[in-house]
Amino acid sequence: MRLALQDLCLRHPVLRGHPTDLAKCGGLALQRSGHASPVVAGVDHDGVTATAEIEWLSQAVSVLEVLDSNRVTEDGAEAVAIAYANSKAGWVVKRRLQRGEFADWLLRSETGWLALEVSGTISGEPLARLEQEKRQVARCTLPAGRLAIVVAFDRPLIVAGGP
Amino acid sequence: MTETHSIAFSEDELDALVSIAIRRAEILDDIQSPAASEAWQEVMLYEERLAMITPPAEIAGGVARVGAVRAALAAGRRMEAVRLASRYLAEEPLPPERRAAIERAFQEDRDRLAGRFPALARSGRLAELDEWRAIASRNPRVFPLAA
Repeated sequence: MRLALQDLCLRHPVLRGHPTDLAKCGGLALQRSGHASPVVAGVDHDGVTATAEIEWLSQAVSVLEVLDSNRVTEDGAEAVAIAYANSKAGWVVKRRLQRGEFADWLLRSETGWLALEVSGTISGEPLARLEQEKRQVARCTLPAGRLAIVVAFDRPLIVAGGP
Repeated sequence: MTETHSIAFSEDELDALVSIAIRRAEILDDIQSPAASEAWQEVMLYEERLAMITPPAEIAGGVARVGAVRAALAAGRRMEAVRLASRYLAEEPLPPERRAAIERAFQEDRDRLAGRFPALARSGRLAELDEWRAIASRNPRVFPLAA
């Protein structure tokens, strides 16, 4: 599986013109953890393991001095997660959801809808975080599939699962 | 909605706009910025516009309708939220799950206000906040009666 962050807006047109450049944050978050494009990330989706090659346009890490570190992590995780959801099953972003819906994004494909909850960590145990995110998205009442994804940038590792 | 907001956007354009606006409003909320209320009003306008062009029975339409009510509440415009909720709940095809989500939004708003104004909540006077807000919105001065 290839996750090309620089193609994010091509695959998800709704992200065009977004003031937060998610793909750039994804690259910055990966470079901050010492990675260079392309990097092979581990994938654990409901216990099924695989790998994904993440690639991005190299970023000037000096901007990290003026960006909120947590936002880079969260926005970077969204870039990787949305790219993963698209590569895995063709999900395309429809829109962002308000917090009261208990998911970050609503995505669609030819087969239906998906409520996606995303989180990122610089380091730490992503599986414990995934359990939290799965509990959160389980509260989403929309008639849609539900998926939680956590991106751990240090390894890097993508962990995903449904409630 | 006023004439100044009557530019015709497509659903895809509104999806992009509301996504940007939600992100901004939530960030402003997180840092407790006074600009958050205005940002939520913008979200409300986009959600309301989406609700106008999407059927209530479809997932996008249901999300927009609940989103408009939630954004109005987050903007502190409870009367607007009541007006929108009344309109959307009158739409027969709106799914029960979305109806429950609208009710939940009001309950969460009441809980939030009760946490912020415990004395008013204890004395059953939370409804007075709506009257005060209505007066304040008509009189932007700090002391309207003394003006």
